[in-house]
Amino acid sequence: MEEIGEVKVSLVNAYRVVIKGAVKRYGSLAALNDFDLTIEPGTFTVLLGPSGSGKSTLIRSIAGIERLDSGTIHFGDREIAGEGFHMAPEKRDLAMVFQDYALWPHMTSYENVGYALKRRNLDSTESDRRINEALDRVGLSTKGSNYPFQLSGGEQQRVALARAIVGRPSLLLFDEPLSNLDADLRERLRVEIATLTREIGATACYITHDQSEAFALADTIGVLQSGTLQQIGKPEEIYRNPANRFVTAFTGVSGSFLGTVESATAGKAIVVLGQYRIECRTSNSLKVGDLAEVLIRPSATSFTQSGSNTLPAIVLDVAYRGRGYEHVVECDFGVISSVFSPQSVARGSRVEIYVDPEGCIAFPTDKAFSPGAVTQSLIGIK
Amino acid sequence: MALDSGLLARRWVPFSSERSQLRRKFGRIRITPMALFWTLIILILVIPILLFLSVAFSPRLMSQGHQWFTLASFKPVFSGSYGIALLHSLLLGIVASLGATVIALSMAWLVLRTDTPARIIWNSTIFALFLAPSYLIALGWQRLFEQRGVLEIMGFYVEPIRNLLYGPVGICMVLMVKGLPFAYLVIANAMRGLGEEFEQAVRVHGGSRVEAFKVMANLLTPSIFSAMAIVFAEAISDFGVASTLSSVGHFSVATYQLYQGINSIPVNFPVSAATSITLLSLVLLAIFAQNRALRGRSFRTLSGRTRPATITKLSFFGKFSTSTYIIVLLLMVLGIPIFGAVSASMLQGLGSLLSHYSINFSNYSRVLHSRFLRNPLIYSTQMSLITATLSVGLAAIASKVLTSIKPSKSKKFVDFFLLAAVALPGIVFAIGYIFTYNLRFINDLGLHIYGTSFLLALAYSANALPSTSRSLVGNMGQIQESMMDAARVHGSKPARAWIDVTMPLIARPLLIAWLLTFSGTLLELPVSELLYPPGSPPVAVGIELSLAGFDYGGGTAIEVLSILWALVVVGIAFFLFNRFVPPGWKRLGKLK
Repeated sequence: MEEIGEVKVSLVNAYRVVIKGAVKRYGSLAALNDFDLTIEPGTFTVLLGPSGSGKSTLIRSIAGIERLDSGTIHFGDREIAGEGFHMAPEKRDLAMVFQDYALWPHMTSYENVGYALKRRNLDSTESDRRINEALDRVGLSTKGSNYPFQLSGGEQQRVALARAIVGRPSLLLFDEPLSNLDADLRERLRVEIATLTREIGATACYITHDQSEAFALADTIGVLQSGTLQQIGKPEEIYRNPANRFVTAFTGVSGSFLGTVESATAGKAIVVLGQYRIECRTSNSLKVGDLAEVLIRPSATSFTQSGSNTLPAIVLDVAYRGRGYEHVVECDFGVISSVFSPQSVARGSRVEIYVDPEGCIAFPTDKAFSPGAVTQSLIGIK
Repeated sequence: MALDSGLLARRWVPFSSERSQLRRKFGRIRITPMALFWTLIILILVIPILLFLSVAFSPRLMSQGHQWFTLASFKPVFSGSYGIALLHSLLLGIVASLGATVIALSMAWLVLRTDTPARIIWNSTIFALFLAPSYLIALGWQRLFEQRGVLEIMGFYVEPIRNLLYGPVGICMVLMVKGLPFAYLVIANAMRGLGEEFEQAVRVHGGSRVEAFKVMANLLTPSIFSAMAIVFAEAISDFGVASTLSSVGHFSVATYQLYQGINSIPVNFPVSAATSITLLSLVLLAIFAQNRALRGRSFRTLSGRTRPATITKLSFFGKFSTSTYIIVLLLMVLGIPIFGAVSASMLQGLGSLLSHYSINFSNYSRVLHSRFLRNPLIYSTQMSLITATLSVGLAAIASKVLTSIKPSKSKKFVDFFLLAAVALPGIVFAIGYIFTYNLRFINDLGLHIYGTSFLLALAYSANALPSTSRSLVGNMGQIQESMMDAARVHGSKPARAWIDVTMPLIARPLLIAWLLTFSGTLLELPVSELLYPPGSPPVAVGIELSLAGFDYGGGTAIEVLSILWALVVVGIAFFLFNRFVPPGWKRLGKLK
């Protein structure tokens, strides 16, 4: 046991997971399409993507529940899946937390957790100590004799978490474990997952479609679309320098506009929206005169009196969020949501919206100039 | 001595890699439980069915005629005695399915939606009806109403009722009784899923009670069609009534015609196969018609939010009249046959030309002391133990294949053959076995199993497999695949994961399936009748032989003892289950 600061760290033999050229098809549908990914040992990697992006197939292939059509998976130097070769799940020394908990209803919490220790061949005293420790760690020390049906949803997921950590596996997999829980419980369990996983020191791979969950948990985030990895990197990097329009849109956008590029140099561009000019960041692929789509991060908007990079708008809606108010505003080029202010601005008020160039990203597009349609489709994506 | 690690490495590394390469190359052809399962399915289900039915089109294929392809075998099926029998079966099937469904609907409503006092006894009656084969129900009625039967001995004049019983009315009544539990279970299950919110939604949006009832009836339509299709299929496939009331009353039905055909010399297998195909087609037609009728009407009413329906509180008169209805129905379906069998078994001299009779237990004493009367029960018990174990094992695998969420060819194959086999009457199945296992090339292969207990056990198992699998499919389908996945990723091999996770979850349904198969086989008639090994008659044949020898008392005593024995086994099994299985297992699959 090592101590780093205040956090106790039990170092297990964490795996380095390397996936190369993974392909998995369901009929004509390619769930994984020549997929490459490396997960460094002891890190917490979150794979983020919409449904159908292949993230479940990927995590199930790592677990050994699915067989790849082609490609390889290595845990360290050991090949666990390759051409015509598939190591059975029980031999991979990993644990998994399932979306639907997958607790066995005929076993008590204690028995559910203890099941994962069978492969360790421990004596009963040690086994008992570890099970109680795991249950205690997730706050269920008094619920060991309860059956799953006697537990709430949050408690059931904590039993599943205890089952995953009790054997101190080298790799921990999480298949959208929080998606069936209410908001408050999600937040509490998210913290437990983050701390427990780092405590045991295992490599963790977590899949979700929720970008806020991904950013809160991850050391590394991989964004998936249609069975391919769009971008992988640290959360800050993904948020600040998204590789493409999909990554930007999926990691949080409060609105988008279509405009024409007036100038583009060294990662900066000026996009003309009618009589207004908006400065934004961009890749180097934009040229003067190109049609561009400007995606705006929620954190990049605020109310202002006047100045550069501003757009006039009318407040459509206001929602109280505890620490302040979030507004939906409509300007000539579309709708922007999540404009935050400590004070409420009344519906129908005419306002100026400042758009921070750092949180404003322009991408080339060949869409017809129909700003309303584009922005409407993005309402609700934060 | 110091070990040469280099040598060890040279020895082991190539071997390991070679083994790994071999495994990669031949890993898919090792013998697995699934391979064994498929071999058995093909051997006991697919081959006998296909070989026998193919003779209808191609007599020469199996040396049963000269033509490679002909439809001539079908000509006699639609004319003469075969045609009349087929028409009778069709009409009986339609009337029985309508009657049983109407009664089942009324019973489901009374039991599930009202507080009628007699509803408590209904559920146990349903399971008793499942256990009682149609020939036993028919025999019970027969013993009471036949000439010099129990009621005539007691001095009652029953000729008009006898005339009705030994004709279409009596046959139809027994078929209705036999179909009733199937129809009831289908409709009651659907009614359980219909929470009160559907009724409430109609009422709060301005609908009257009548309109609410119409909506409920509409939501129940799929189950009503299903119930009718099942009862129709059961009725036209039935051999029990055919061999009792139909044969005595000379009202021919298709299954008895088939039986007579197979007992004639020389046996005309092509015509038997053509009759079987026609019968099978009628059953499949009913299932197809049900599917057509339900197109777009498969209502999914069951969800986690379904609220239990409100129970209608009946008035005193309502309770009295509904209870009377239930009790009269109970007497008709079980009371009279039981009274018939028990009274006949206790009458010494029944069936003989004696003019004086006495009531005692001498028939039972004879059964217990006579090897000839006792042995069928012992033999059938042994066969039932083997059959129940084998077919429940196979059914567990088949239901797993059927409920797999991944679409596969195996799933379609099992689904088709089990559906076809459900539709296949037991008598056809038995004839298929006689035909297949008497073929020259089967004998040339060294498979001399015709007339053996081994073949009888295979036929029993194959006959029971479709319904046993279907009974497990519902429970197996409720098991989330992630629970097995969780066991695998947490360190268990497939077999271990199955024992630790799946088996406990379906322990009660497995036990029920085992007991239903055991009881069904113990009293099974058509397969027993045609395939029993010489000198070893099973119970059903033992009863028939006694009755044929006018030993009505002995025959009915075997009948009563067999049913009691089945109930004892059921009791012992449930006692052991409740006494010895872990507490977590007992809660699951419990009937409410």
